Amino acid sequence: MAVKFFGQFLVEKGIVSREALLRAIELQEQKNLKFGEMALAMGYVTPNDIERAHHAQLSRDIKLGDLLVEIGILTLTQLNEVITRQKNNHLYIGEALVLVGAFSNEQLQQHLNEFKADQAPYISERVELPAGIPNPEVWEMAADLTYKMITRILGLPFRAGKCQAVTTVDTNFVMAAMDLSGDQDARFIISVSQGLQKSVAKAILRETSVDNEPQEVLEDTVMEFVNVVCGNIAAKASQAGRIVNINPPITIRPDAGGLAVPAGHTGLCFPILVGDGETMQLVLLIKN
Amino acid sequence: MKKVLVVDDSLSVARQLEKIISESGEFTCVGHAKNGAEAIKMNHAEDPDIICMDMNMPGMDGLTALRSLSMLDKEVKVVMVTSLGGVGDKFTEALKLGAKNVISKPFEADDVLKILRDL
Repeated sequence: MAVKFFGQFLVEKGIVSREALLRAIELQEQKNLKFGEMALAMGYVTPNDIERAHHAQLSRDIKLGDLLVEIGILTLTQLNEVITRQKNNHLYIGEALVLVGAFSNEQLQQHLNEFKADQAPYISERVELPAGIPNPEVWEMAADLTYKMITRILGLPFRAGKCQAVTTVDTNFVMAAMDLSGDQDARFIISVSQGLQKSVAKAILRETSVDNEPQEVLEDTVMEFVNVVCGNIAAKASQAGRIVNINPPITIRPDAGGLAVPAGHTGLCFPILVGDGETMQLVLLIKN
Repeated sequence: MKKVLVVDDSLSVARQLEKIISESGEFTCVGHAKNGAEAIKMNHAEDPDIICMDMNMPGMDGLTALRSLSMLDKEVKVVMVTSLGGVGDKFTEALKLGAKNVISKPFEADDVLKILRDL
């Protein structure tokens, strides 16, 4: 019921053992050379070049290959040759599991089909963002996955409203947030009205009534929903080679005037239209 | 009956796990720690057979606690319960540090119990 990678799916389902997966990962680590190792193996760079570039990377957010081109050690053609060699020689986890004897090639295909079926609900669909947002593909995916989790975890029927850039975020009964870091810093916020908070709590706690639950528990369920959504966003991002780190969720309490989008950030508001006078929003505060 | 310690800063997740564990009739929940440091103390006090532990917690996080528990107690079996299970590097790091399996959030009771039974 979550975004997974193939190895995790196999261990969770008991198809391969933890030990077999670790042996396969070890084999991958031996075979799949990093960019610098591959460039070295192809004779395009020396260990000294790599050390120089790594040192320069400490003060700059740039990929090793791009930096090696920039400082004149690699040509653009060589950069592309190294990347192509890396791709062509990449040992995938399924192939590695076959090589360590966890299963046969025929079984690999069968398990891949099962995995694809398991992950089908999480295939990304387009979400339209205002123009000029940095890394739009990450935030489109984040919004799309949030919608999917509202359906799958909360079981709430809703309609996604049009995403808008905002300078102030409306306050709401509960606002749960998580700070994201990595390739891009941002704050992910889900806000819900009082009635919806109960719907979230019922779904997370799997109870038919939450009338006797303390407010602390009710708020915690909204934070946990944010935690689950953001963890799955991090997983989906990692499948696309992007790094999204998560932090423990928090609640925020802006005053009645709302939450001003901090300087140097872009605020995106995604209204989640649920009807019955209740309100829900996904808000992303993205560092420019 | 095997004893299970739940470690999660979220009250709602701890509640869910405690309910699944106690209603199974096969396991008993011996307590709830809210972070890694509490988990290490409660492991010493309660001597559980299994620890179900979150990765992303304030204070000492799950992977740091797992590293310590793997050195301090060779008997206890740790299963990570996390929304980060789908991040390949995190999953692999947990297994390398000694976790026996990883349960992804959101989870179903049947999946949790299957993993606990298979330990």
